[in-house]
Amino acid sequence: MSKQAPILPPKLPLRFLRWFCSPELLEDVEGDINELFGQRAQQNQNKAKRLFYWDVLLLFRPGIVRSLNIFKGQNNNVMFKNYFKIAMRNALRYKGYTALNLLGLIVGIVSSMLVLLWVSDEQNVDKFHAQGDAIYQVLRNMKQSNGQVSTGTSIPKPLGDLVAAEYSEVTEVTQLSWLMNMSLERANETMEEGGRFASPSFLSMFSFKLLDGNKETALSEPNNILISRAVAEKLFGSNWQSEALGEVIKVDGQFEQQITGVFEDVGNDSTIDFDWLIPAQAYFTANKWVEDWGNGAFETYLLIPDQTKIQAVSNRILMEIKDHTKGNPNAGDEELMLQQFTNRYLYSKFENGAVAGGRIDYVRIMAVVAVFMLLVACINFMNLTTARSSRRSKEIGLRKVMGAPKKSIRIQFFFEAMMLSAVAMALSVAIVMLILPLFNVLVDKTLTLDFLSMNTWYFMLGLTFVVGFLSGSYPAILLPTFSVVQSIKGGVRKQSSFAVYFRKGLVVFQFAISTLLIIGTAVVYKQIDYVLNKDLGMNKDNLLAVSIEGDLAGRLDTYKSELLRLPQVTAVSGASGNPLNYGRSTSSANWEGKSPADGYEINILLTDEDFIETSGMQIVQGRDFDSQLQDSTNFLINEVAAELMGFDDPIGKKLSFWGIDGQIAGVVKNFHMRDLYQPIAPLIITCIDPSMSSVVLVRTDENATDALAAVQGVTKELNPAEDFEYVYIDQEYAESYSNERTMRTLANIFALVSIFISSLGLLGLASYSAEQRSKEIGVRKVHGASIGQVLVLLSKDYSKLILMAFILAVPIGYYFTSDWLAKFEFRTHLDPLVFIIACGIVFGVGILTVVSKSYQAASINPVKSLKEE
Amino acid sequence: MGKQSIGEFEEVILLTVAVLYENAYGISIKQDIEERLQRKVSVGAMRTALSRLEKKGFLESEFGEATAIRGGKRKRFYKVTPYGKKALESVMETRKKLWEAIPNVAFDFKFA
Repeated sequence: MSKQAPILPPKLPLRFLRWFCSPELLEDVEGDINELFGQRAQQNQNKAKRLFYWDVLLLFRPGIVRSLNIFKGQNNNVMFKNYFKIAMRNALRYKGYTALNLLGLIVGIVSSMLVLLWVSDEQNVDKFHAQGDAIYQVLRNMKQSNGQVSTGTSIPKPLGDLVAAEYSEVTEVTQLSWLMNMSLERANETMEEGGRFASPSFLSMFSFKLLDGNKETALSEPNNILISRAVAEKLFGSNWQSEALGEVIKVDGQFEQQITGVFEDVGNDSTIDFDWLIPAQAYFTANKWVEDWGNGAFETYLLIPDQTKIQAVSNRILMEIKDHTKGNPNAGDEELMLQQFTNRYLYSKFENGAVAGGRIDYVRIMAVVAVFMLLVACINFMNLTTARSSRRSKEIGLRKVMGAPKKSIRIQFFFEAMMLSAVAMALSVAIVMLILPLFNVLVDKTLTLDFLSMNTWYFMLGLTFVVGFLSGSYPAILLPTFSVVQSIKGGVRKQSSFAVYFRKGLVVFQFAISTLLIIGTAVVYKQIDYVLNKDLGMNKDNLLAVSIEGDLAGRLDTYKSELLRLPQVTAVSGASGNPLNYGRSTSSANWEGKSPADGYEINILLTDEDFIETSGMQIVQGRDFDSQLQDSTNFLINEVAAELMGFDDPIGKKLSFWGIDGQIAGVVKNFHMRDLYQPIAPLIITCIDPSMSSVVLVRTDENATDALAAVQGVTKELNPAEDFEYVYIDQEYAESYSNERTMRTLANIFALVSIFISSLGLLGLASYSAEQRSKEIGVRKVHGASIGQVLVLLSKDYSKLILMAFILAVPIGYYFTSDWLAKFEFRTHLDPLVFIIACGIVFGVGILTVVSKSYQAASINPVKSLKEE
Repeated sequence: MGKQSIGEFEEVILLTVAVLYENAYGISIKQDIEERLQRKVSVGAMRTALSRLEKKGFLESEFGEATAIRGGKRKRFYKVTPYGKKALESVMETRKKLWEAIPNVAFDFKFA
């Protein structure tokens, strides 16, 4: 045995031991386990090795592991420890300033974080589809004879078929209907849900999550239906997972559809929303009109995996509709284009057939606002720190005497700024989490801070760093330049003129931003106010639109007369839609003197004889419908249509559409069928067939709740099977501007926040200069200056700065607000009063801050300030 | 007992160091405890106890000769200091006092 080569213990654990073991113990410990290993190895080598590992592992314990000495031996770290200590002491010594500084930073960070959360949420819409970047939606640009181009999404069905069959670059084509409301019925459970008809490829092209059923086959048979989880839970209760699949439900009161799938509820992050899906084939078979190239049908989506082929596809598809509708007298002049699906949420506004913005405008504005808020907060920090720098001059001087180079002093101030910004960040995150629910209500979203996502951490770390760097940069550059002798001798009384100007410049900049935000807010506020209160050409107050469901459709006359018997109801009329949000057009209208080459899209509103009275519109020429006369072929047109048709006196002129010949009986004053971003479109109002109405407009008296209850009673009585569905026209109208109203609220808040932060900064600066000049004030008072004179003296400088900020802010504000207003076809004029008021507010708040701080200094007994030495 | 308290395992080690007298180093202590008291001792547990005792001043140590069996590493021999002896005595003393204070009947289990 002794002749064998000595068995050596395993290397790996030994190396581990040498790494962790404290040096004074290592030799002895290593010897011990070596000896032990030798003894054990004589009996069983493998066991000895195993035990050796085990021993080393057991040695890894406090008392044997060497102490962590990262901080030992490196001079830098000692210095950092010192910076930390000094920073803490300074922060605690001047608690007021620290609080001011932190408060400014926190408010800035919190508001910019909230805005950035909102921005990133906006950018996430429609981004969850795995193939999203390769999906393109086909859009059609229809040229009107008046030179305008209207962009639409309803594409003739044959186009989709053609592309699927002949375009090799396009691997999949999906046709998808608009959102339709239909009743879903199972046993005794009925509900009205919005859903869509979709091609079988819909589920594979888009990444909507299927909880139950087979993606490949779920939409293959016309009698299939997929329902959302919410609908499944309503129809089948909590056991839907085992019960729903394969069941048959009745759709629209007539079609038996078999459930082939259940999908996860579509969230807010999708522009395509639906609670059920039925194969498009079912719709196509029932509606033969879709087979015509002349009729716009479903939305059409193309999957083009090869990005380099996009241009080729765009070029080829451009004229497809026009080429296939040659010879059709009603065919318009139109072109097709593609829009990347992921862009459609943010870029949804088209002008002259090209993208002209959309929500992206808001996203950009908000992102800029967020950056501004941060800037204002950082400037605050810089100003306060540099203004207070003379407090630190002795320290800096001493450091220099002890041999500190400029670089290390610079590092010190960066370090301090980073520290404060980290503290502010931590507090901000806590505050954001607290107020996020409130903010969500405000912007109607479900934003969350997702701590599991790395991006959140990158974002927070990045923001801490950026804020720290920005706010620390100026002090870090300025402070090390103080001369040693001066700073030790008694503080730097006179700062360099550059430093003073720079600080003043920052104040100007800060207040310019605040003024700008307030101007913006005021203009947005005025415009929204204008929109909500504009005379729309009809009376939208106390006007109820009840949807016609189920049995009601056939009993419209009874329903109307029943409603009219209610004391609260003053007028009732059927209509084919909400007159303030209406779009149903034809290009088949013809009138006397129309050149056959001209194509016009003209809206058709189907109503009955009481429409004008009920809606409160005005007849400007001719007469209203008259129930005594046979008016089914007499039409009303609006002023825009009258102008378009070019009649001097339109009354009695011949007019035809949809193959119905008639004449013009009257001209109705323009009313806004669309939002105020768009011009008023030409319109024909007809009472040709009241049974085609989809809503009943009910004009009630002032007592809205009472009236609503009464109307509901009558509706329920006549139509017990269906829910009573209604909207108030004015509420619906206000609702359609919810984006603008959200913007208004946000702009309000941010204007307040920015002026708050700016005033914080001003407060700090003012109290500092009051302190610096306390002797001067004392002397002045001894010589008979009044408090008022001292106040004027102290606030004069700052008023100049604020006035300069206005000179900067007003032109910029004018430029941007008039640009924004130009997007509205109908807009309020830019009132100079807006600018005056905005400046007044900023000036008032600013001066009030300075004066309140200066007053303390001015009212102090001069003996006190002069005695101090 | 003084300010420094002494644990049971520490006491065992201290006593064993005294027992082994001039041959008290890591492995010999470990093996002696294992043989005499029939209990398992890991190198790690013993090592921390030893350095703790040394820190408290109950033990002192010096290096001996390097030997091949230890891979050329020197042994560290331990010796009980007078302070350590005092600590041991005080432990024994308290035990003794407690034993003496026990009334006879307490351990008379015939009636139990």
